[in-house]
Amino acid sequence: MPISTEELEGGITRVILEGRMDIEGAAAVDMRMNVIAGTKKAVIVDLQKVSFLGSMGLRALVAPARAIKGRGGKIVIFGPNELVEKVLKTSGVDTMIPIHHELQNAIAALQ
Amino acid sequence: MTGNGNDTTGERLNLRSRMFELTHLHPWIERLALRHRIPANTQFAMNLCLEEAISNIIRHGYSGDPDHSIVIWFTSPREDYFVFVVEDEAPPFNPVELPELPPLNSLEELAIGGQGVRLLRRFADALEYQATPTGNRLSIGFTVTGSAIAKN
Repeated sequence: MPISTEELEGGITRVILEGRMDIEGAAAVDMRMNVIAGTKKAVIVDLQKVSFLGSMGLRALVAPARAIKGRGGKIVIFGPNELVEKVLKTSGVDTMIPIHHELQNAIAALQ
Repeated sequence: MTGNGNDTTGERLNLRSRMFELTHLHPWIERLALRHRIPANTQFAMNLCLEEAISNIIRHGYSGDPDHSIVIWFTSPREDYFVFVVEDEAPPFNPVELPELPPLNSLEELAIGGQGVRLLRRFADALEYQATPTGNRLSIGFTVTGSAIAKN
């Protein structure tokens, strides 16, 4: 599963995930996500190109989110498709990691 | 359903009780979807529910022991209705009657696995459990029209 990052103004890191966040996808991004979680304080997780999210994928989001928040940082999710968003909402992850569909709103939430 | 090795009415996937066996699910469901013209949102729900059901069996039913089997049968008993029957030889476990955990509400809670039953119930259209003489049988049904995935 491809993962890339982009540094935005204001010290914000945009993490772009692409593909399926199943057990294989989660394993592929886990280490990179943990490094980001240990070094960044304002993170947008861009899920626009994520086509599937299962519970293994949820773990790959929640663990870094806890680390970032534990260091006083902020994290938001940007652009999930309808079904991915339903997984996030059904599991309650949206109450811990806010979801935004406009990039400007996601950026504003981190400032 | 297991036992004679013949599969004349449906299709079958045999897995070992190892987490990486879950990687076989997606290509199998894709092949079924092509053959049965299953729409993408129903495929999503199938992938999600089977990942949850199988990972629960591996982690909890078999307690991570990698040398057990899990058999999944696919059938389409009527038009636009699809059923996966998951059979294992683990100790009795009925996810249908399990009390539902509340949604996660704190980053301190990391029991994502505990959300599996909630996801199963929200994304499947039908769940049916049966204890077997040797283990468990869970049937997970999906309707294309009026699917649970369209509900909030």
